[in-house]
Amino acid sequence: MAKKLQIKNNIRRFRFFANEMTQKQLAEKVGASRQTIVAIEAGKYSPSLELAFRIADAFGVEIGEVFSYEMSDKDK
Amino acid sequence: MSYQEKKTIVSILTGLLILTTYCFYAYGKYQSGVVAMDDLMFWARTMLLFIAISIVATIVIQIVFNILLSIMIAIQEKASGCESDDKEIEKTIETEMVTDEMDRLIELKSMRIGFFFAGIGFVIALIAVVLDYSAAVMIQIIFISFHIGSLLEAITQLYFYRKGIKHG
Repeated sequence: MAKKLQIKNNIRRFRFFANEMTQKQLAEKVGASRQTIVAIEAGKYSPSLELAFRIADAFGVEIGEVFSYEMSDKDK
Repeated sequence: MSYQEKKTIVSILTGLLILTTYCFYAYGKYQSGVVAMDDLMFWARTMLLFIAISIVATIVIQIVFNILLSIMIAIQEKASGCESDDKEIEKTIETEMVTDEMDRLIELKSMRIGFFFAGIGFVIALIAVVLDYSAAVMIQIIFISFHIGSLLEAITQLYFYRKGIKHG
């Protein structure tokens, strides 16, 4: 049985270090809607690999620095 | 509330309005005895008319909604006090109204639920014919179930926007 995987992100922290970049500005940079950025930040939506790369690129860091995962003990 | 959520609420209200109007018009005529349940021509004509009304109303209401929302965003931007020029406002409107991968995923998942309900309606309609109900009853069930399926699709969309969505 596969373990449950939870994707976490540091978008809020990177936005803060990017001169308090707004969600709207990030959305414009990556070509997504503000609603999607809000959902990703809140952990309500896991982005596609392409969007995840775009977000990392917007902050000028590697994808692994923005997104990480955690395996929970609960089986699927 | 995001643009997509507002758009979905508008589409739910439009769908409800059209379904209610259909029920009042068609069943009102049936109740008053002007048409019989077996009058397939009347029911088919009425349904075709309401499908056309539904398409036109949806397009018109969405256009009006987009215009009103754009005006609201522009007013909000001006009122916020920051020096927003027209290009900045245009950019804000574009960012609000853009359809991205999350919207497409939500649309696909909710569409599946809508079609599933419509499919159940179709099966119930066939069962009705097997149980010796008239063909008019069958097309009523199909028509209503497609409408309710479409409403359910919009409600599911709203749910996913609120609760979030996962791949797979």
